[in-house]
Amino acid sequence: MVAICFYFQVHQPFRVKEYKIFDIGKNDNYFDDKLNHDIMRKVAQKCYLPMNNLLLELIEKYDGSFKVAFSISGVAIEQMELYAPDVLESFKKLAQTGCVEFLSETYYHSLSFLYSKDEFRRQVEMHRDKILEHFNYVPKVFRNTELIYNNELANYIENMGFSGIIAEGWEKHLGFRSPNFVYHPKTTSGNLSLLLKNYKLSDDIAFRFSNQGWEEFPLTATKFSKWVNDFNGCGDVINLFMDYETFGEHQWESTGIFEFMKHLPDEIFKHPDNCFVTPSEAIEKFDKRDEVDIHEFLSWADTERDLSAWLGNKLQDETAKEIFNMESKVLATNDEKIIHSWRKLTTSDHFYYMCTKFWADGDVHKYFSCYESPYDAYIFYMNALRDLELRI
Amino acid sequence: MKILMLGWEFPPFFAGGVGIVCYELTKSLSTFSDVEIEYVMAYGPKDRKLSEKINLSSANKPFKNSKQVNISKIKSSLYAYEGPSEYLHRFSKILESQSNEIDIKSIKEIYGENLINEVYLYAQRVLAHYEDFDFDIIHAHDWTTIPAALLLKEKTGKPVIYHVHITELDKTGGVYGNEDVFKIERNGFLKCDKLVCVSNYVKNRLINDYKVDASKIEVIHNGGISDLEKNNFPSHSILADEKVVLFAGRMTLQKGPEYFLKAAKKVLEFEPNTKFIMIGGGDMLAQIIELAVELGISKNVYFHGSYSREDAKEFYSRADVFVMPSVSEPFGIVPLEAIALGTPTIISKQSGISEVLQNCLKVDFWDTDDIAHKILSLLKYKVLHSHMKNLAFNELDFFHWDKPARDFYNLYNLLNK
Repeated sequence: MVAICFYFQVHQPFRVKEYKIFDIGKNDNYFDDKLNHDIMRKVAQKCYLPMNNLLLELIEKYDGSFKVAFSISGVAIEQMELYAPDVLESFKKLAQTGCVEFLSETYYHSLSFLYSKDEFRRQVEMHRDKILEHFNYVPKVFRNTELIYNNELANYIENMGFSGIIAEGWEKHLGFRSPNFVYHPKTTSGNLSLLLKNYKLSDDIAFRFSNQGWEEFPLTATKFSKWVNDFNGCGDVINLFMDYETFGEHQWESTGIFEFMKHLPDEIFKHPDNCFVTPSEAIEKFDKRDEVDIHEFLSWADTERDLSAWLGNKLQDETAKEIFNMESKVLATNDEKIIHSWRKLTTSDHFYYMCTKFWADGDVHKYFSCYESPYDAYIFYMNALRDLELRI
Repeated sequence: MKILMLGWEFPPFFAGGVGIVCYELTKSLSTFSDVEIEYVMAYGPKDRKLSEKINLSSANKPFKNSKQVNISKIKSSLYAYEGPSEYLHRFSKILESQSNEIDIKSIKEIYGENLINEVYLYAQRVLAHYEDFDFDIIHAHDWTTIPAALLLKEKTGKPVIYHVHITELDKTGGVYGNEDVFKIERNGFLKCDKLVCVSNYVKNRLINDYKVDASKIEVIHNGGISDLEKNNFPSHSILADEKVVLFAGRMTLQKGPEYFLKAAKKVLEFEPNTKFIMIGGGDMLAQIIELAVELGISKNVYFHGSYSREDAKEFYSRADVFVMPSVSEPFGIVPLEAIALGTPTIISKQSGISEVLQNCLKVDFWDTDDIAHKILSLLKYKVLHSHMKNLAFNELDFFHWDKPARDFYNLYNLLNK
């Protein structure tokens, strides 16, 4: 049998405003409230609301056999509270169906695991509280920011009591192993299962769906289901992990992406051995086939699948180091606003905007950036840091 | 395929950016074995200083090994970029400086009474020389060569490419251009077969201000400067205390020197030790010096007047930040020279180069707050300064002429069908 496991990432950063040198010492609001509001509203209309409705319809239609998982960052939830309570309500409705699983992550969608394990743990706990508060759900499976993963993280997550963790299914680290099985992370003691993203099938939907130059264009639900069926007998679970904004935002409604999703379950269910599972169910249902040993950090971003989307150039390394160096001083202030501002600045997106890989993955970085250039992103961020420094 | 190119003098004769472009493009085009170029150059003593330097063989030098490029000189007093009033000024100065009648007579032979007049005289001379010449395509650079190109087109029926490096409205910052020049340009835009703009910025100018049909226009961005002297380790880094911000260009409305000064004033409120150097002559120099005094920052602003490319190198390597606040810059190759000598750049978005250069900071020329903010950022954040400097230096490799030459080659083939 083949099980399909959908997990959608929902995240919106608090984008830093055009905070100028002249503002340092005079202005402690670093974030672009208007832009953040506008983006949240735009994505709500184009993606969150229509796609949530569609998923709700599908869950009702298949009476519990269609299911999905979400990982919603704390900062995204916070912006829904502020700007899109309608979206939050519709996620709650989905939660109430019992066919939706919520994953754990850092509240601030941060790179904290790389710099401060204490802060990492705090942010994971904050996120757990937030998910519990809104969805009455305690996450059991962890996904780190941008699927950043290695053995060390797996150990840490196992110790925190999670039953599963998610990573990119990248050949370089898997060798002959297929991503379509559940694995044992090598250095853990047996209580943690690893789910690997099938990036080819995931990216067929997330990136290539509307690409007219792709030889498989147009992608139909029938065609996609056939590819899934081909794994019957040689795979347990196909993990389709992607940004939720794929639906309606990256791939516009006019591409037919909603229609594709609407018909996909029908096509998948045509094969009697197929089913849908959530990550926790996959972990319970399937035995671990082998162990996976990943030393270097792996992620789901760019062609390198490493940390180079967020770290590696001097701008990124300096700012990341500086922000995490401020941790003890910031926490010592006990000032809620300062601590919250600081944490919002740990969000990975800020470093993504500073990426200067112009000619490799430059276009995708540009697409996601609200700044004119990586240099502008750096300047506004640094100015905000300088101001924060004055306040701690 | 034979191209009749109506161009300008090559470096070292300083004809500004268009001379560099003509040289680089011709050089790259000559790598296509089936392209022959008859390169026509308006040629004559410009003023005493220059005429002393003229060495007849040097102009042929760049293509000595190429049988495909033949350079021929047509007598003329035309000078790239020059407007009608500058022409008259120069003409009268040259006449004043002559002492004997024979010289005066010979000069009068190649100087029309005014620029427009000279442009048409030049056109007649070109026609006389080339009406029976065998060629396939006319490639003309800027408005002063357009009457010549159109006369030839009329006579021979060969297609004309109008290579637009700048328009009259760019020189004046978008308003009150010289009407005669405007008319010649507009006529050229209407009658030439293909218009090639050096940037989308120029293309938009043609569409919006000259009401040109967009389907006629193609954009081919310039490459860089192939003989750039490169040194990414400028000596000034040891003088870390005294920061230098540089402006280099003619003091004209087009180059936006007053915005540089207004930004300087704001920078000095935060970093009072910063030095601002402005190099370049031009009709606004006196006015700009006065403005520095008016703003109360003259103590920190240094003027240099006209400069050679050699002088400029000295300044580029000395500066910590280079600013190009142009009001209207069709392409703008100068930032590449600063980058080549290890200086990070802030460039106007009202420029063609901002469409292609990545590793720089971009500003609207009128937003002096933003210019100041960006100057301060580069002076304050060392990591930003060094990272941008290095990546920009590496980016120079992308500014080569293979691509534009290939685009022109394809265009020639298209028109030659």
